[in-house]
Amino acid sequence: MSVPADEQPTLRGVSLTRSFSDGGRTRNVIDDVTFELQRGQITLLMGPSGSGKSTLLAILSGLLQPDRGQVLARENGHWLDVWRLSPREREQFRLRNCGFIFQGYNLFPALTARQQLEIVLRWGDGVGGREARKRADEMLHLLGLAGKENKKPAQLSGGEKQRVAIGRALIKRPRFCFADEPTSALDWGAGQVVIDQLQKAAHEYESTIIVVSHDQRLLEHVDVSYHLDDGRLTETDIPANRGFEPWRTGT
Amino acid sequence: MNYSLATLWHERPRFLPGIGAVAFSAVLIALQCGLLLGLFKITSLPVDNTNADVWVGSHEVLSVDLGRPIQLSKISRVAGDPRVKEVEEYYQAFASWIKPDGGSELCIVIGSKLDDDSLGSVHELTPEMRDALTEPNSIVIDSGERNRLGVNGIGDYAEINKVRVRIVGETKGLKSLAGPYVFCSRPTARLILRNMTPRDTTTYYLVRCHNPKDSESLAHDLNEEFKDRHDMTVMTKDSFSTRSRLHWLTKTKAGIALGYTALLGLLVGAVVTSQTLYAATTASAKEYAILLAMGIPRQRVTRTVMVQSFWVGLFGILLAYPTVHGLAEMGRLAGVVIPLPWELLAIVAVVTLVMSLLAGLVALRSVRKIEPMSLLR
Repeated sequence: MSVPADEQPTLRGVSLTRSFSDGGRTRNVIDDVTFELQRGQITLLMGPSGSGKSTLLAILSGLLQPDRGQVLARENGHWLDVWRLSPREREQFRLRNCGFIFQGYNLFPALTARQQLEIVLRWGDGVGGREARKRADEMLHLLGLAGKENKKPAQLSGGEKQRVAIGRALIKRPRFCFADEPTSALDWGAGQVVIDQLQKAAHEYESTIIVVSHDQRLLEHVDVSYHLDDGRLTETDIPANRGFEPWRTGT
Repeated sequence: MNYSLATLWHERPRFLPGIGAVAFSAVLIALQCGLLLGLFKITSLPVDNTNADVWVGSHEVLSVDLGRPIQLSKISRVAGDPRVKEVEEYYQAFASWIKPDGGSELCIVIGSKLDDDSLGSVHELTPEMRDALTEPNSIVIDSGERNRLGVNGIGDYAEINKVRVRIVGETKGLKSLAGPYVFCSRPTARLILRNMTPRDTTTYYLVRCHNPKDSESLAHDLNEEFKDRHDMTVMTKDSFSTRSRLHWLTKTKAGIALGYTALLGLLVGAVVTSQTLYAATTASAKEYAILLAMGIPRQRVTRTVMVQSFWVGLFGILLAYPTVHGLAEMGRLAGVVIPLPWELLAIVAVVTLVMSLLAGLVALRSVRKIEPMSLLR
């Protein structure tokens, strides 16, 4: 596995356990999982349906509280225990650090591509209208959506919509980006564009990216891959011919 | 462009019921109030459409049509006040109108001075009519009351309190609530009302001040002077007009009916608007959930719903105004006066806007239900 020389962990899950009640009996969906994610890397989390992938993603992103264990996030050189923060502090933590991408694009049907991105900056960080517009346009340009700024979701293809959703997740240059099945609804061409953007974000913004997916094709484009089964995590091998190797090594 | 406004425009079929509900409420309340204003304006018409600054009537008279006889002996005391320019006696009382075909109807006989500077003649009486009324036993009625009075118009004869009278003129737009107005000279009124208005009495003294601004102080001072006698009450033109309308409003319980109708309108409007906003927010729950996951405060989504409720209210009101004016115009063509003073329209706008915002508050339960975790299940 190839990783940058300045590799350092930014997100740690320590002894994470989460159970759900299922027909009267309790089942551990996440069972004593410990692992860490590195800055500037894409980590892929795979596993069969119901294996707890999305639950683990929710716990790591501060959306679902584990029954036991800690989620530690590195911010400004300090480790924060995400689940020991107050709900308000956790909300602010997510505002400062987190971006999300989901299988459903979940774009506001009434808003243009530009507005979908602006809204994050204006509502979240209180960025002024002109500045938000400029940054939204820059991001859309980076995503290959120049000229589509004023298009509404109904006027965009599936791939374009997912790129807008990625733009929405990355516009804040988040430290952590959580993606749940980001390519599942896309053909491989559009999926390739998505993974390229995630790689760019990992490289250029040094974001820590965790992708939950069934999509085996992603394996050769990520830095680390884990397999989750029955709530247990095992690291899997990454194929040698990884698609983003050239820019990763700077050649 | 405002995001809420963009959503409203994009999803207009979804928001239209809410906008329609606000408009419905506004139209209902405005028309109800307008109709009542028009109705009760009729009751104070003898006060509003004449030139007296101050009215002196029987003790605690409730409404202009309910004045009892007062002694004429005090008229010189009133006329002697330095603030008073002139005083004249004025007769008004209910009387029994016998139609030419024999049927009967209650009417209101008004006997006033007929000069050009008369304080008691309604403005609708033209100089020609007032001239004709100087003839004994002649009267003027409103053309809108012909059917009610069972006559064909000018030249017809009828009988009031067993006095044969002749119609010499017709006004327009002076229809009455309690009984048709019958205008005549004071001698004719004294004759017709001989049994209800004894000799040396009249129904009102009408007063004109040198300076109309003195009306309040004059009424106050005269009331102080007469208070121990308990036989007369002095009112300014405005206060007597208001008193007459309020009496009818409470006597007929129309206020309560108005209140119920307005409440019903508001309730229907609030429920539909609230449901519209609720449905719109629920439809966008996943989009909002992503924003919440990214740490955008729930309060920001709440604000969006409230802004949407404001726009729904505003568009509803904008839709209501031409509708109200259109319906009022149709009413006018049908002979029903529906006054829509700007104060009424402003109050209706504020009430319906507040209703819309309250509906927004109720719809906020949809925001509380938005759960970012739902995106990961």
